[in-house]
Amino acid sequence: MSKDSQMRAAINQKLIETGERERLKELLRAKLVECGWKDQLKAHCKDVIKEKGLEHVTVEDLVTEVTPKGRALVPDSVKKELLHRIRAFLAQHATL
Amino acid sequence: MKMEEVSMSSLDNSKLEGLAQDILSDLVEDACLGLCFEVHRAVKQGYFFLDDTDQESMRDFEIVDQPGLDVFGQVYNQWKNKECVCPNCNRSIAASRFAPHLEKCLGMGRNSSRIANRRIVTGNNTNNKSESDQEDNDDVNDNDWSYGAEKKAKKRKPDKVLLISSTTITILWSITLFLF
Repeated sequence: MSKDSQMRAAINQKLIETGERERLKELLRAKLVECGWKDQLKAHCKDVIKEKGLEHVTVEDLVTEVTPKGRALVPDSVKKELLHRIRAFLAQHATL
Repeated sequence: MKMEEVSMSSLDNSKLEGLAQDILSDLVEDACLGLCFEVHRAVKQGYFFLDDTDQESMRDFEIVDQPGLDVFGQVYNQWKNKECVCPNCNRSIAASRFAPHLEKCLGMGRNSSRIANRRIVTGNNTNNKSESDQEDNDDVNDNDWSYGAEKKAKKRKPDKVLLISSTTITILWSITLFLF
């Protein structure tokens, strides 16, 4: 298992070093805006804020309310594309 | 390094797949957190609800989606069937053709003065005498860009040149006389 975690750490390091993680992040952000995920989630945030009260809302509130819904709302096409790129990266760098 | 190589090459596809899923899930979580921070800042700085208006104005300015109306609710082909009477020739003209007709009828537009110039240049005086008379009158009234003004400008130039050259000649002649 420690080999596994070692390997994961190495891969993550490679992701950051080559700048691929940043690129993937930007790609994901752009795709999510395009497909309307951001607007959907923002509308959900509005509801949460109206519920909790504008003055008293905290980051933790938003995170606990919004993150699970956010994960669920990501469309499959976006997930597929990101996974495709990640797999390509792994195939390229997992042999190093 | 070598040990890592061995461990990586002996990985199943399922492990790699699991890894890819984990990476994706990290990225999605980053995106969610980013949105939360953005929204929280907007709430605390007070600009989160800035683009909303109250319900009543939203209803007033809602987009209109009926046939025959544009998005503001105005009728857009209202003037299609109306007819106007031309003050010059007293004919009844359709509204959308009214402006070009007026241009030609009064002889004041760009095209009509071009046509008039062409006719004068090709010497069609006998055929269109009455029309050219009318156009001459109009040209006298149009100060800026009519053929009459051009004629005047053109004639002035040769006069000036003539004047200058004659003065020079007179001066030279008088000098010559004076010297001898």
